[in-house]
Amino acid sequence: MRALLLVGLLALQPAAAFSQASQFGVRGLGTPGRALSTRAAGTSGAFGLFDAESGLNPAALGGLAAMTATFNGTQAFRSVDNPAGSRSLRDSRFPHASFGGPVPGSPVTVGISYSTYTNRDFTVATRDTVQLRDVLVPVSDTLSSRGGLSDLRLGVSYRLRERTVVGGAFHVLTGSNRLESRRTFSDEQYLPVEQSAELSYAGVGASLGAVQQLGPALWVAAIARSDGDVKVDRDSARVSQVDLPYTVGLGLRWKAGSRLDLAGHGMVRTWSGANSDLLASGGTGADNTLEVAFGGEYVGDPRRPYRRPIRFGAHYATLPFPLQPGLQPSEFGVSIGTGVRFARERAGVDLAVEHVWRSAGDFEERAFVVSVGVGVRP
Amino acid sequence: MSRAAGRLGLFLALAAGITGCQERLTAPAECPELCPGGESRVFDTVINPLPGSDTSHSGFVARQAAGAVLVSNGLFRSQDRAVYRFNARPDSIEVRDTLRAYTVDSALLTLNLIARDTLVDGLKLYLYRIDPAVSAEATFASIEQQLVPEAIIDSIAVPDTLNTGVVRALLQGEDLAKVDLPLGSGGVLAVAVSMASEQPSGVRLGSLVAGTGPTFVSFVTLDVPDTGSARRQSVTRAAALNTYVSESTTMPQPDLLAVGGEPSSRALLRFDLPQPIEDSATIVRATLELLPASPMVGLPTDPPLLQAKALLADLGAKSPVTTDERFIASDTLPVGSADTVRLDVTSIVRLWQSVDERPEALFLSLLPEAASFTRPVFGSTRSATPGAPRLRVTYLKPFPFENP
Repeated sequence: MRALLLVGLLALQPAAAFSQASQFGVRGLGTPGRALSTRAAGTSGAFGLFDAESGLNPAALGGLAAMTATFNGTQAFRSVDNPAGSRSLRDSRFPHASFGGPVPGSPVTVGISYSTYTNRDFTVATRDTVQLRDVLVPVSDTLSSRGGLSDLRLGVSYRLRERTVVGGAFHVLTGSNRLESRRTFSDEQYLPVEQSAELSYAGVGASLGAVQQLGPALWVAAIARSDGDVKVDRDSARVSQVDLPYTVGLGLRWKAGSRLDLAGHGMVRTWSGANSDLLASGGTGADNTLEVAFGGEYVGDPRRPYRRPIRFGAHYATLPFPLQPGLQPSEFGVSIGTGVRFARERAGVDLAVEHVWRSAGDFEERAFVVSVGVGVRP
Repeated sequence: MSRAAGRLGLFLALAAGITGCQERLTAPAECPELCPGGESRVFDTVINPLPGSDTSHSGFVARQAAGAVLVSNGLFRSQDRAVYRFNARPDSIEVRDTLRAYTVDSALLTLNLIARDTLVDGLKLYLYRIDPAVSAEATFASIEQQLVPEAIIDSIAVPDTLNTGVVRALLQGEDLAKVDLPLGSGGVLAVAVSMASEQPSGVRLGSLVAGTGPTFVSFVTLDVPDTGSARRQSVTRAAALNTYVSESTTMPQPDLLAVGGEPSSRALLRFDLPQPIEDSATIVRATLELLPASPMVGLPTDPPLLQAKALLADLGAKSPVTTDERFIASDTLPVGSADTVRLDVTSIVRLWQSVDERPEALFLSLLPEAASFTRPVFGSTRSATPGAPRLRVTYLKPFPFENP
């Protein structure tokens, strides 16, 4: 019970819904988040469409055998390279939390989750020289952003038949972005400048999903999601409206043996719908994205599948917001993970480590992301 | 259960390790790729005072109320003489409930040298006894005609190494007659001070207002049957009046902006910030530029300060000005130069922006007021030559954070 209380307290933290920061989240709406539990992250997201603790597929909620609360934290160690230089960075985030469970005596399972939709955590520093009063004056600029869009999902699943589960979810897309621009002049006769603003976002979306068992060891999952558009306010004044993507995804899971479970999925998001809105606002536009992931879970003792399984996986994805028009960034990641359940399987801890490479032209990024998740089943 | 608790402890330690790491998010960047909203652009604009609204007002500080008095010998083709009138010295001193007569043994006159041209040697101050009825309305001619050899009390040779400080004239024996104050004369001593030096120059001497006025000390012996301390005393008199007279006086010209002089002038400048700047710009620098009508004269080693003060309300010449140091800008005036005078008034212009009630105006004055040889005159909006004052404002527009 104390562990549940801890999860609840952590979930209430104001910074509680952000995934990894990236230089590829500087433009557009930010770096898209992946609503994955640490367990699914250990497989690079391959099990995301089947994982009840992740936030991708509402039908997967049907996999919850008991009321479950999970909370996930990440620590990322990044190395950024771009034409301006290189730098090692690190950040801590809490990208995903979920709570749900079956309705006793019914085929219904309900759940609520809070995860990152897009992340705009960054600070970029530039140097330049400007001509002021006929004199060249070196200046230093820093643009900081904290925040992004969060996805609050209210989902329900319904077991139609023994092998068929369907689900639906309502998504509230909300969040804010605190931005600060600082400029200092090397000539101290010019006062340093600090300007700030807060962008707030509001939108809604809906998703449908299904999980179908095709055979004794084969499952298929599918999702379709529409997020409408998001309204962007600057300091309470409406400044723009950006179309959000439709998402369709298909996943397969194959239990290759008593010890090995394999899965994979492909997902397409129509971010190009936001292209015209972002260009009209002075951005670099947006492109459709594709995400594919493959991974597996190996258990040493099939009778105790939660006792330190070995998870592995790889994923490739394109990112929606280019830094330069026409040059879409992409990422590739490999991951491993494990976990353990204790207290009569009422509590569990999962651990995942992922190495991610991102690139677009001269802009590159490598990151080690350590994820820790805790689950409690009171 | 203990194993479960141990694992939970291990998890908490791991979680604390992960979440407790200090963040480091600042990355080098290059525009335009990593600059949403683009780069901050800096703009520069020049604003003139409202036409005809920049005016000099005179009569703020009179020479007798100045922080110093002026003495000069041919500086800028003029002469200045200092005038001091001391408080009356009594004829007798009360000792043991009885007024006692006294005889003066010696007298000491002290003056405070506030500033001099340290580049000019051989400074000598001449003390003249003048009519004790002298008043603040005295003219140069009325004083100068009293400065005859017979009226000289003493001369003080100021060491070339002394830049500021007290200088003295001690009178003893026959010289005491020069400051004699006979019974029934009223006991008032008045002196005028002139100077000589190797080159035309000037000095500033102390004044009552600044607490640096002169003193007249008489060392006396009382007529009492006592050989102790009661018999020998000193009588000190401070100045009751100090002023100075100038051979030539300048009157402010209505089409120019005069600052300083005596009685002192101040210049009121009114501006109207453009609405876009007033509403949303971030001002990084604001400089007031004034064009002198002629090269700035004065003591090269004693330059005055030009001061700009924000107004609390615009009531013309009687406008109250701020006493908040943050909204007072000052800088040294370069003596001998006719270059544009620049004063950083960023804090004042930012005040105009942030407080609607504050008039977009400022008052220019000179320090020390009414006590400087420098009398700057600047162009106004009414003068073709030199040009009008300018307010050069450098600012940034609001950053377009909403641009993704």
